[in-house]
Amino acid sequence: MRNTYMVRVLTRALQPVRSLCSAPSAADVELKNVTKANFEPALAELRRHVREADFVAIDLEMTGITSAPWREIFEFDRPDIQYLKVKDSAHKFAVVQFGVCPFRWDQHSTSFVAHPHNFYVFPRQEIAGDGSSYEFLCQTSSLEFLAKYQFDFNTCINEGISYLSRSQEEEALKCLDSIHKDEILDVSSNLRNVSDTQLVRMADILFAERMKNAVGEWRAGLLQGGSWGPESQGSLNDVNQKFQTTFFQTRPALAVNGLTSRQLKLIKLVTEKHFSDLAYVHVAGESSSRLPLIVYTDSAKDRDVLKGEVKACQRKAAEISIKSAIGFRHVIDLLSSERKLIVGHNCFLDLAHVYSKFIGPLPSTAEEFVSAVQTYFPSIVDTKVLLNSDDVLSHIMNKSSTSLSNAFNLLCLPPVAPTGTNNGSADIPRVKVDVQVDDQRFSNWNSGAKHEAGYDAFMTGCVFSEACFRLGIDFNPLAPGSILQHNEKLEKYINYLYLSWANGDIIDLKTGKCGPDTLGSAIGRRRWLAKFTFSNMILLWRLPTKLKAKDIRECFYKAFGSGSITSVHQMDETAAFVQFSRAELVSDFLELKDRLDRDNNNPMSVVHPLSRILETGCVRAATYETYKEVCLSPLSELLFADQAERLGMKGEARLVQSSVDVDGEDSHEGEGEITMPTFRELQQSSASVTTRNFQTDRIMDSLCRSAAQ
Amino acid sequence: MYFRRYFCSLTAAGHRRHYQRPVKQVIKSNFPETLSEIKESIFSSDFVAVSLQETGSYSAPWQKCLPIDTDETAYLKAKRAAERFQILQFSVCPFSVKASKLIANPYNFQLFPRHEVKVGMPSYSFSCQSSSLASMAQEGFDFNACIYNGISYMSRAQESAATVQTRSVLLNGGSLQSTSALSVADVIFSERIKTRVKNWINGCNNQHKTEDYLISSLRKLVERCENYGSRPSLIIDVCSERQVQLTSEALKEFVNIVLVRRPAKTGVEAVQVVLTSSEEDKNLLVKEIQDLEEEQKRLVSGFREVIDLISTSQRPVVVHNSLKDFAFIHEKFLAPLPPTTNEFSSSLLSVFPHILDVNHLMKELGLFDQMNNLSSAISYLDSRFSASIDMEVSYEEKTDCVDVHGHSVTKVCQLFVKLCSILKISLEIPEEGRTQLPALLQCSSNMFCSSDVRDPCNDDVRIWTSKSRTVSLRNLVFLWGFRRGMSAQDLKDVLCNSHDVFSEEFDVKMVDRTCAIVVFWTPGFSKSFLGIIDSGEVFSNKLGNMIFEGLKAADYETYRRVCKSDFWKPDLAECLAQATDETKVFSGAKMQQEKSVICWNNDEMINLDEL
Repeated sequence: MRNTYMVRVLTRALQPVRSLCSAPSAADVELKNVTKANFEPALAELRRHVREADFVAIDLEMTGITSAPWREIFEFDRPDIQYLKVKDSAHKFAVVQFGVCPFRWDQHSTSFVAHPHNFYVFPRQEIAGDGSSYEFLCQTSSLEFLAKYQFDFNTCINEGISYLSRSQEEEALKCLDSIHKDEILDVSSNLRNVSDTQLVRMADILFAERMKNAVGEWRAGLLQGGSWGPESQGSLNDVNQKFQTTFFQTRPALAVNGLTSRQLKLIKLVTEKHFSDLAYVHVAGESSSRLPLIVYTDSAKDRDVLKGEVKACQRKAAEISIKSAIGFRHVIDLLSSERKLIVGHNCFLDLAHVYSKFIGPLPSTAEEFVSAVQTYFPSIVDTKVLLNSDDVLSHIMNKSSTSLSNAFNLLCLPPVAPTGTNNGSADIPRVKVDVQVDDQRFSNWNSGAKHEAGYDAFMTGCVFSEACFRLGIDFNPLAPGSILQHNEKLEKYINYLYLSWANGDIIDLKTGKCGPDTLGSAIGRRRWLAKFTFSNMILLWRLPTKLKAKDIRECFYKAFGSGSITSVHQMDETAAFVQFSRAELVSDFLELKDRLDRDNNNPMSVVHPLSRILETGCVRAATYETYKEVCLSPLSELLFADQAERLGMKGEARLVQSSVDVDGEDSHEGEGEITMPTFRELQQSSASVTTRNFQTDRIMDSLCRSAAQ
Repeated sequence: MYFRRYFCSLTAAGHRRHYQRPVKQVIKSNFPETLSEIKESIFSSDFVAVSLQETGSYSAPWQKCLPIDTDETAYLKAKRAAERFQILQFSVCPFSVKASKLIANPYNFQLFPRHEVKVGMPSYSFSCQSSSLASMAQEGFDFNACIYNGISYMSRAQESAATVQTRSVLLNGGSLQSTSALSVADVIFSERIKTRVKNWINGCNNQHKTEDYLISSLRKLVERCENYGSRPSLIIDVCSERQVQLTSEALKEFVNIVLVRRPAKTGVEAVQVVLTSSEEDKNLLVKEIQDLEEEQKRLVSGFREVIDLISTSQRPVVVHNSLKDFAFIHEKFLAPLPPTTNEFSSSLLSVFPHILDVNHLMKELGLFDQMNNLSSAISYLDSRFSASIDMEVSYEEKTDCVDVHGHSVTKVCQLFVKLCSILKISLEIPEEGRTQLPALLQCSSNMFCSSDVRDPCNDDVRIWTSKSRTVSLRNLVFLWGFRRGMSAQDLKDVLCNSHDVFSEEFDVKMVDRTCAIVVFWTPGFSKSFLGIIDSGEVFSNKLGNMIFEGLKAADYETYRRVCKSDFWKPDLAECLAQATDETKVFSGAKMQQEKSVICWNNDEMINLDEL
């Protein structure tokens, strides 16, 4: 490990030297790394590349994925739960590297030209915000993973580019406005505070008196017309040589250095109290710190003018500092304003990060989120969706993993030394991709730095271009102006993303609809067989730690007959989901559990088959909605049971909304019905999706019926 | 890596030669060798100073330890920080004072909670405050070294929970625990094992009888012989813990064998019988295996070994901010923090009997605890008192592992020794009384004070502050719901003379941007003020307007409830609003039992201009 690291450090150190060489070998030229230092020129260059590009591939490296083991996305997670988990992840973790790689079709060389950029990003606090600190979570295993691929944490933290999201910028500007308004009010109620601040301490009184004399002398010296020479500086020298005569906007001024804030307060007091033609102001010094000045003005009117000027100046400076704090968001704004096709690999989480870091806090539902994303990025294509949904491509992938590096190896690299068997892929023509780094072009570039965002973005783009080629898309008409995302062969895959790979739910960014893979590939659909009827599911937590899913299943079989439950899913060692085959078993179980819990020492409950699960007497059970509530909380305890306890979840003794689950036919309603809104959900969200309306009506009906009974 | 660091230390040394003393840097690779070194160093010195570098300290301004906090709320804040953030650097400096000379051996450990043994241990995830990381970066902290090569650890609680390798590998012929009679199957099993081992031992002893290579290897295969190191051994498959016991019972009669439990990696448990040549050889092997186990244990507990060493040495531990530092130490290396201060201190004192807080000593001197900066405290003491201390660092310099980090711990030592010499406390401890504190220090040890109630002894040292007064918690009222951007002065102007309760003296300070605290110096006024806000009475003056616009108030008990709850928001106002909404049933009954005063100090509140 250390050796490889050293090599890397050395390569990095030698980088500038190497680029001077006339003929660099393509294989070991690093991609363009962008930090604070070279951000401005790199951004200007990127602007040009993105404008000319046909599509832009992106990839992100984060400090973590899940804040607790149970926050991983499971196959039994409903789409709304999946979104909550993605939201939690994007909210808590930081982005440390952002890869942007614009691809342009070059008709002359009939190849794509890629410009991989690797931005180091760090959420440094550049402007004084609302006082709260910028904080982010790190998942230990993710950092280990990054370390394994020699991620340079020092560069990231020292040199990373900071950013402000749109909403943060708005907030900061609003804050500035209100301060400005206050200051105008302050001017009107002039010198209001003077009477309040009393000189209580001897030291203060002495200091104030001395200051009064010193400033008075200085003013007198000015009025005498002579330049305030060193001979008259006598008394000021006593004051630690903290004063210095300068000029401020053609007015003579006295700069005050190196005093404490209390002393400055006293000086301000003295100046305002005793000298009507002197103004005490803060101006921006050469460094970012504010320099206190006492300025001589001709009249009271001139003094107010001066104060106004200084304030306007300060406001301007503050605005500039906010603008410059935008930092990396300029890249996102660029991608958004150019409205290019964005290519990612399994990029729903990436987009959630982009939104929460650079646009604003994530909306509470997936529908709102995707519609907001669409306004910023009108066309997004996910290579993972593409590879799994298209028949031709999934045939090429031949059931092997569609991880990025695997797809890249399979599609984009020439097969390694023919091993006898000719599988026919050897002579397939491939899309040529040239790489351009700092005006040097390489036709066979491979930095090999896997899991570096810039390189991953490059690989994603290569996979995409190759996939397009296999789909039979002809790049040649891609003259400047024609748009790839309107190609009819590609169009049906655009704006579909995996909400999560774990259960293969695909979300349509245009409508916000979410469901199992319906894009066409049979292989893709076969991957996820498990179907869930969420209303038949019971969440159990505070389970005995040694209990396995198998044991739980056995107990339930004994208690309710074999076939009573269809599946048991363990979330972590303290919690599990049990899916009953029939809806009424849910309430049966809750009642039984309640009874067993109440008379714990009754011999009947000791020998009961469920006693193995309930033996501790503190097992809690609840319906699927409780799971959602737990996921909604910002807390992230390591174990699910602890999380639920801290949220005060007591479990349910009986099913309150048991009547929601009507006749058995509901559970067989088909694939489309993933979300079965319960009563509580209905209460919460008044905005119901139109397609669900018939369902809601029926549920309301059944609710009324049950109320009548 | 060294390549880079070499430059780093060169430049740093060039700039600040005066302050830098060599500190031994410890990472994963040189940790085992350092462990024995530091052990010797700790046991041969009188005190141990420690200093930590965390990934953050608070999430919002009000979550800092403030002068308005009681011991309890201060502890809750420290607890929260310790639970969220992570220690990346831990400096330890065993030191003694001999002939008014400070002899120090500083070590700096890079820590990273890598999952060495079990996923999720010691920490699944942790928070970082980006400003903390940025300031660490400015000081030249090497994050790569820390994350790539930092030492991992496990807390005592985690280790016992994980039950990693707790079963001894060595079977010491323990007798059958279960009193149940041997069944027929058991007897057969034992007898079979006995014969098998007997035959095997005979076979081994008669090895001089020349045997065909093929046959010998076949025999080995059939008999399941393997070499354990250089010694011959036999593997016996077992299928239960009982059979393990039976085996060890049955083989008691063979003197020169050692039984070793084979790790059940493949699911099949087995006992390995190792044949030794003599009694001495047997002892040697047992020792070897024990050492190996010890090593394994060391890998599991990792850096915690150092904490355990400090604890067993019973040396007084000197820190700069005891509440914060020991909250972290307790959380990361001992066990999750208990909910109350009392449990915390008793749990901690059972591990570290003497804890000395430099901040507390400064208070004793009459310096208030705002001197958070070690360097400025040292230079202040230097300028005011003529107590210069010779510092001798006994670690001899080696360029490759001496670095610029971890100097704060030597500063803690220095400051401590200086303070003691000013306070006329002798730190020269006779050889035999090492675990005893000097009597004068005894009284100031183990004070986890955030705000204590002693009267200032001499006023003239307090040049930064106006006088601080104690104020009963009952006289404090939290205010929120006012216009954003209002200052304490604005609030005071509005409140002044707006009602009878504000006719007497009172103070207003900001806690954070959204919340202010009002101090009534006249008892009883706070209650009537809360009554006014609650009643919804309408005044025609500015205060009335503010109440109309949503001004809210709450007593200290509400604040305490906020600190106790799990839901801390960035703005205190939001938390207080939530806490008042939740329940109004809590009465102030409980409040009177506890210490109900804090130290009110005008200058110690947050200066919002400096945020």
